[in-house]
Amino acid sequence: MLVFDELKKNDPQLRLVAVVLVAGLFILLAGLWWVQVVSAREYQSHLETQQFRTIRIPALRGKILDREGRVLAENRPRYNLSLYLDDLRKPFKVAFDAEYAQATNARAQMIVGQEKKLGRALTKVERKQFAFKTEQLKGFGVQTREQVAASVVAQVSAKLGEPLALDPKEFETAYEKARALPYPILKNMNAGQIARFQENYAGGQGVDLELQTVRNYPFGTLAAHLLGELRQDNSSIGDEYSFFNYRLPDFVGVTGVEGIYDSVLHGRAGQESVQVNNFGYRQSEDVDSQPAPGENIVLTVDLDLQRAAEAALLNHQGPDANAAVVVMDVLSGDVLAMASSPTFDPNDFAQGISREKYQQLQDKSAEKNRASQENYAPGSIFKVVVGLAALEAGLNPDKPYTVEPNPLDSAHGLYDVNHVKVKDTAPPGQYNFKRAVERSSNSYFIQIGLQTGVNRVVALAEKFHFGERANLLPRQETSGDLPTLEQVHHNWREGDTAHLCIGQGAVAVTPLQMAVAYSAIANGGTIFWPRLVSRIEPQDTAAGGMTTNFPAAVVRDHIGVSARSLRILHNAMLGETEDVEGTGKAAVVGPQLRICGKTGTAQVQDSANRLIGHNYWFASFAPFENPKYAVVVLVQSPDESGSGGALCAPIAHDVYETILQKQTAGAPKILAAIN
Amino acid sequence: MTNDALNEKYARLDRLQLLALAGLMLVGTAFVFSATMVNPVETEKFWFAQLWFRQVMWYVLGIGAAVALCLVDYHPLARWSYVAYWAMILCLVAVLIPHIGQTHGGARRWIDLPFYQFQPSEFAKLAFILAGANFWSRPPDELKRPEVFWLGIGLMLLPFLLILKEPDLGSALVLLPTGLVMMLVAGTPRRFLLRLLSGVGIVAVLMVADILFAPVHWRIPMQDYQRQRLLVYFGKDFATADATPAEKAAARELQRKCSYQGQQALISVGSGGFWGKGWHQPDSQTALGFLPAGAAHNDFIFSVIAEEEGFVGSIVVLTLYAVVLFTGLRIAGQARDRLGKLVAVGVVTLLFSHVFINIGMNIRIVPVTGIPLPLLSYGGSSVLCSLIALGLMQNVYMNRRGY
Repeated sequence: MLVFDELKKNDPQLRLVAVVLVAGLFILLAGLWWVQVVSAREYQSHLETQQFRTIRIPALRGKILDREGRVLAENRPRYNLSLYLDDLRKPFKVAFDAEYAQATNARAQMIVGQEKKLGRALTKVERKQFAFKTEQLKGFGVQTREQVAASVVAQVSAKLGEPLALDPKEFETAYEKARALPYPILKNMNAGQIARFQENYAGGQGVDLELQTVRNYPFGTLAAHLLGELRQDNSSIGDEYSFFNYRLPDFVGVTGVEGIYDSVLHGRAGQESVQVNNFGYRQSEDVDSQPAPGENIVLTVDLDLQRAAEAALLNHQGPDANAAVVVMDVLSGDVLAMASSPTFDPNDFAQGISREKYQQLQDKSAEKNRASQENYAPGSIFKVVVGLAALEAGLNPDKPYTVEPNPLDSAHGLYDVNHVKVKDTAPPGQYNFKRAVERSSNSYFIQIGLQTGVNRVVALAEKFHFGERANLLPRQETSGDLPTLEQVHHNWREGDTAHLCIGQGAVAVTPLQMAVAYSAIANGGTIFWPRLVSRIEPQDTAAGGMTTNFPAAVVRDHIGVSARSLRILHNAMLGETEDVEGTGKAAVVGPQLRICGKTGTAQVQDSANRLIGHNYWFASFAPFENPKYAVVVLVQSPDESGSGGALCAPIAHDVYETILQKQTAGAPKILAAIN
Repeated sequence: MTNDALNEKYARLDRLQLLALAGLMLVGTAFVFSATMVNPVETEKFWFAQLWFRQVMWYVLGIGAAVALCLVDYHPLARWSYVAYWAMILCLVAVLIPHIGQTHGGARRWIDLPFYQFQPSEFAKLAFILAGANFWSRPPDELKRPEVFWLGIGLMLLPFLLILKEPDLGSALVLLPTGLVMMLVAGTPRRFLLRLLSGVGIVAVLMVADILFAPVHWRIPMQDYQRQRLLVYFGKDFATADATPAEKAAARELQRKCSYQGQQALISVGSGGFWGKGWHQPDSQTALGFLPAGAAHNDFIFSVIAEEEGFVGSIVVLTLYAVVLFTGLRIAGQARDRLGKLVAVGVVTLLFSHVFINIGMNIRIVPVTGIPLPLLSYGGSSVLCSLIALGLMQNVYMNRRGY
């Protein structure tokens, strides 16, 4: 071999040279081995770090459906018109070169002029003064890029017939920070704009449509409180990879079902890698992992009833009223409708709400779900509890009781409890149980309440689970107030009992609690855990995946009241709507759907015990023969002349109308089939 | 008869070396193509204006020059060696004069002729080899005389200093091992050489220590970029310990910029892996612009090869060079006289130094210097000189019989 020939010869110097050569080549070989084989992975990862940018791609959010599968919240495609900066690289360079050449010429001329002035050539140091500083060069870059981008935008604007403007600061920021991503110049294009763009400008340089999905609530304000709000948030969730170079916009639910079930609806974000060149421009892209779409949520809510409830509130009370409606299935505890006023449009949140709008919402406390998130004095609708307690304790419903007139107001009754005078809206005279319910006589109920004893009343109220949350909307529920048995023995006077019996004072409820309570009265005494979510199912049924069912009719308690007592109460409540003297007549829809109801009025007092308004209630269930639905309406108003019958019963009427229409139209599966 | 003569003529050439050279030239063309054709400016030129084609032209010219040289025995050539040597010294001086020598990238190394940028340092290396071979081929007894020794050192130092002044540290540096090896093979007494080596070693260590550690006023005057390259190689912080945070930040930025090229080359080489990514792929470091376009086709051409053909490709290149170098040594062994031997050894050492420093620079065992890779880097002067040098070696081989 070549080497050995030399080594064999008796030529020590050549041998030495050969040895050095071999050693040198061997060092190179070892070095190459180390770099290219042993450390290859390390360098490959360096390469990937500098060449690849990762982009977090949000998953398709799960839909929210009503009990019949109608879509309440979905995703809609949104098209933005965006600048693609890698396509504009050449024009940027051309413009920059032109500008630079111009500036260089100007500088050369300045130098010549200076030399003429001095009459000699400039020294190196003097020339340096004319040199371009880095900020100047950078400025050229910024300027020329902005010009190029602005001219592209102007072209597109002319073709589309839309006034489009380029914000230079935003554009430069996008260029610096997110060069590999498209830069939107027109967001949320409508069909006409898209069509015009495709006709006139498709294939143009540097501009193209960019597809995003946006959350859409097709029914606007419908069920806003139940659906909830979204907030813009594209951070990694759960065990997602946390290091992304860029994150596309994403949303997270804050309140309502969007919030409570966000982890279900959200899906799992995917990842895309973009290969960039050393200028940060996009070269190629690759989807590393597809996003996994979120799952759909099916609510127990019935779209028709929800719509009826909200329309009724709007029509009768206007958009700014403080009011709530709850419609419940008495046999299962399913929430069929839950409306709260004032309301908001969740589309505003999904698409970015303006500060002014949000301020308006805050001023009205529109985000509050008044059906579950606010305590209200129940007033007369609490009397059913007192009545049941009394009947259980042995009250004879037919025994007459005389209501004394109010000396100051002979048209109305008065009850004196140890110098606590409680006025009565009902006139003085003879009352039995039925009439007392129909006319909502304060005196009667105070009397029977005192007779039965506050202990029994409170014990029954506890069975109804007043003063406790129903865990339907975590973080958006209040528990209401109910004095405990201990409290009624401590510093408790008869006047307090009197107030309790007419639903004022130490007791406060939410419309949701009243719906659960009246459902119990309607269904024979079972307190259910109310249910809002029926099931969770995969978005793409073809792709498989499990459905999670939430059982209906989960029993929380039994009020333990005899069937007789309930029957008496039912009859009395029927009289409320059907008898001449009944205060709830406005709710009646017809003999096909006989309604049992109870109106109520409660005073609202501020901390100084001054009267600032009234809570008007109408709590009901139907049909009388075989109750299926409970409807509770609340209107809080500063208006003193109103009443539950005048303000709330008409709203319930509209809801029952819809129920009746659905029944007669043979609408399938209004109720989940529950035996 | 004619047949025998013709056959002999063919046998007079070292075929193995020529084969290896042809291989290198092919590789050179292919990878200059790959490194330059990623640039849209290049692809738009006519094919005969493109850099890879110009490289082929240089190969042809170089081969022509080499053939011309081989027509004559190397002895008459050697008689002209001193003339060539002083002519090159003149050119080196000329390059340093402001209006004659042109500056590119901060160094004044070229004389711009109408069609060609003439780089004297490349030719000076050749002239030095010839002149040195001539000088040291005198009888070994004469070499024992100290004044001969120092004259030889002077012969080496003159072009060394002139090239250093340009500044072109890399090219200057390769003169030293070449001269040293030639002196060794010529038969200069060991003790001279050892003292020389130790002297040079001490100076080198002192210089490096000075650059790395010395405070400002003790620093040897050196070009900024040269100092920076050394600092980058040793991984030393650019800022001194007592710099303000702002200065430190600026220094770090500068360091990042300076180490960028070397770092990118290293990433290119490493990410090639065993088999490489394939020739002329659109997502190579060069294509994406991470390996700077200006360097990819000359000083860092090896990174391009290493990334695209991997460890396998690197081995092939090393093997081709090894064949050239060892056939060169064989030629040296078979040379008919000391002159021929010295010429061959000088060329071998020159080539080896280039290869070692350039490839070493790509894998970071040697600081970054501006040394081309012979025959693979793009560059007229480098190609011409490499081919002429190899022509000289073939010349020595052809005339090994002396009859």
